[in-house]
Amino acid sequence: MSWQDDRFKSYSIAEDAQLLLKKADQDQIETVWERHEAQQPQCGYCEMGLSCRICVMGPCRIDPFGDGPQRGVCGADADIVVARNLGRMIAAGSASHSDHGRDLVEVLEKVAMGEAPGYEIRDPEKLKRVAAEYGVGVEDGKDVLKIAGELANAMQEDYGTRKKGLQLLDRAPQKRRDVWTKFGVTPRGVDRETSEMMHRTHMGVDNDWVSLLLHGARNALSDGWGGSLIATEVSDVLFGTPKPVTSSANLGVLKESHVNILLHGHNPIVSETLVEAAQSPELIALAKAKGAEGINLAGLCCTGNELLMRRGVPMAGNHLMTELALVTGAVEMMIVDYQCIMPSLGQVAACYHTKMISTSDKARFPGMEHKEFHPENARELAAALVREAVENFALRQPGKVYLPVAPVKMMAGFSVEAILGALGGSPDPLIDAIKAGKIRGAAGIVGCNNPKIKQDHGHVTLAKRLIENDVLVLDTGCAAVANGKAGLKQAESIAMAGPGLREVCGALGIPPVLHMGSCVDNVRILVLAAALANRLGVDVSDLPVAGAAPEWYSEKAVSIAVYFVASGVTTVLGPTPPVTGSMNVVKMLTGGLNDVFGACFAVEPDPEKAALFIRGHIEAKRQALGLPFNKV
Amino acid sequence: MKQVIVHPERCVGCMQCRTACATAHSKTRGLFSATLETPLPKPRIHIGAGLHREGFPNRCRHCDPAPCMLACLPGAIYRNAEPEAVLIDPDRCINCGSCAMACPFGVIRFHEDAGAPPGKVVAVKCDNCVGRQALGLIPACVEMCKSGALTFEEPSEASKRKSGELARCFSMAGGAEGEMVASPGFALLNALKKAQQEMNERK
Repeated sequence: MSWQDDRFKSYSIAEDAQLLLKKADQDQIETVWERHEAQQPQCGYCEMGLSCRICVMGPCRIDPFGDGPQRGVCGADADIVVARNLGRMIAAGSASHSDHGRDLVEVLEKVAMGEAPGYEIRDPEKLKRVAAEYGVGVEDGKDVLKIAGELANAMQEDYGTRKKGLQLLDRAPQKRRDVWTKFGVTPRGVDRETSEMMHRTHMGVDNDWVSLLLHGARNALSDGWGGSLIATEVSDVLFGTPKPVTSSANLGVLKESHVNILLHGHNPIVSETLVEAAQSPELIALAKAKGAEGINLAGLCCTGNELLMRRGVPMAGNHLMTELALVTGAVEMMIVDYQCIMPSLGQVAACYHTKMISTSDKARFPGMEHKEFHPENARELAAALVREAVENFALRQPGKVYLPVAPVKMMAGFSVEAILGALGGSPDPLIDAIKAGKIRGAAGIVGCNNPKIKQDHGHVTLAKRLIENDVLVLDTGCAAVANGKAGLKQAESIAMAGPGLREVCGALGIPPVLHMGSCVDNVRILVLAAALANRLGVDVSDLPVAGAAPEWYSEKAVSIAVYFVASGVTTVLGPTPPVTGSMNVVKMLTGGLNDVFGACFAVEPDPEKAALFIRGHIEAKRQALGLPFNKV
Repeated sequence: MKQVIVHPERCVGCMQCRTACATAHSKTRGLFSATLETPLPKPRIHIGAGLHREGFPNRCRHCDPAPCMLACLPGAIYRNAEPEAVLIDPDRCINCGSCAMACPFGVIRFHEDAGAPPGKVVAVKCDNCVGRQALGLIPACVEMCKSGALTFEEPSEASKRKSGELARCFSMAGGAEGEMVASPGFALLNALKKAQQEMNERK
């Protein structure tokens, strides 16, 4: 085995990644891992959160050793600089999810106005349920489109400044809402909290690091119980609430004999219309005329997860697979919307016949053709793009095609509604199994890939250790794709679970690792936790549950992690956030927050140790609830 | 005589010494204007990444005797007395690479330079900022380094300080915990990076 093979094995545990890395090397394609190597060593000031670029008296940095400057030009010390930087990361993450949610609300509004051909209300029952929460009249006989319009309006008010609190906070247990009130972190408006964070972190505004961190929690809560939750609920209304579905994952889902179209990004608005277009008999006939057997759609990242959850569209891979997917040489077209789309993709595609299409007015990329989607033109444009992809099949170079792995079967589609459905309509069977100790508790494994952690190793190792110890795993995003590729999401995967979890999942016919969706869908985990807490009459922080982001990289992940903790879910991070420049902030995040939210952060890059931490945490919560507990 | 002294345990890997060095050796001496020059100025201080991706500043040690000087056949490399520095005469350099082969530290690079005849590739390395020192300035890399990884001082002073630190370290070993860690945050960051790296390399 060559040193190159060893290098690729240190980059990823996934076989498709290792093999395609080798091909990338032969094709002289630079990947994210090489760029990460080239960046070493990375700037320590930035890694510690000690560099500040907020104003132009600076930029400033604080010397962590104490001999050099200890304050920025404005006088901010390490605590203030670190807290301000973290606050702005939360604001960016919250803004990203919330803007995604707003785009969906706008489509909902256009559907109501009859200006969005190609879109419809696929789940009118959910529309009515959510509308009723917003106080919209849903009496029998009322026009569904009228309800949709009124709901869109009510949700737009959540984005504004006229309210004292977000509507969907009502789903959280009263005890949790009391905690938020007590510490002044009840989110008032989705955009307001992000905007206020940018204001507070301007020079000369909020210079109390504790107060900055608390507003950070409020800003993140405006994402978790606002922007992201609206994104998930409206996606369900427009495109259908996910139900259990069987599909497959890894680069093997691309088919040599088919026209392959990859859908990458986060928002289902564009990709849902492509699913329709790819089923057109006329375009399928055209594909056959061009020598292909058909049209094969596959997803990447969270656009992929959205389609997988609702349509069973196969999943080609997670974040770090996006370049390698193009290296297969078998992709006729990649269509992207926004978020986590590496600006390198256009350059990779230029080495193959792949056409790259950007679709969002707010996201453009080098080496991509821009075809802007709007609710009004989506249906037509989708058909035109699929036709273009089919025509591009003729330009595929068979000598460059490399699809070395077989896809792995995976189940997905576990919305809260689907999980409750599997349980017979009530959370009680799950609660009973937890009380009896068959299931010790639950853990959400979420978040990205990051070249700092061997790809998928963090997610898969943690998931395996937890299920074999009877902890039910709920996952989303890139973590969910990792666990799918690793074969943890088949009904047969219960063989890898401990005896209690195996029995419960076996009886229900579900895997021990439940795919709950994309990264905005992390709110499904919150909503489920809130439902369990409400049923038990306790707070979320009393539940035997934990969160983990073993390979996170993005600002969105920071916002998610903070809303998990502020909602009462203790969360373990793999990569270290840029906060070690202030031991005050470190101590607050990893301990002090317990006194505020009954939950806090831990940082543990090694998933074996993270599993022990989570199991210990779950057993401690069981003990506090008076349930049978073990020593870990 | 004062010299640039490297304290690798304090390098945070920010690379700011490199931009300062390149700027100090440009024609225009301004960061932005330097990026528009031809040839582009290049830094003479290099940052390696250690086993755990920690920074390691690497620059010419101005050895005495200097292996590069002994290896230089055209006699382009010479010793400057005040301030003390091993320097390369770009007019005499024949770009043969002998100096780089002799250098134990890998700090000699070959490229065009503002101080060399136009279009000529020459051996380039740290010149101890003799030009800046003549103006009463300290070397550019030291001026830019805020973490104390590069200092400009009498070697005997630096050694004395280090002896003191070491002595206190030993007396602490049986006493109070953790007081000798210069930066607990940096130590924590490095411990986590080390754990990450070891995990990735595990088979």
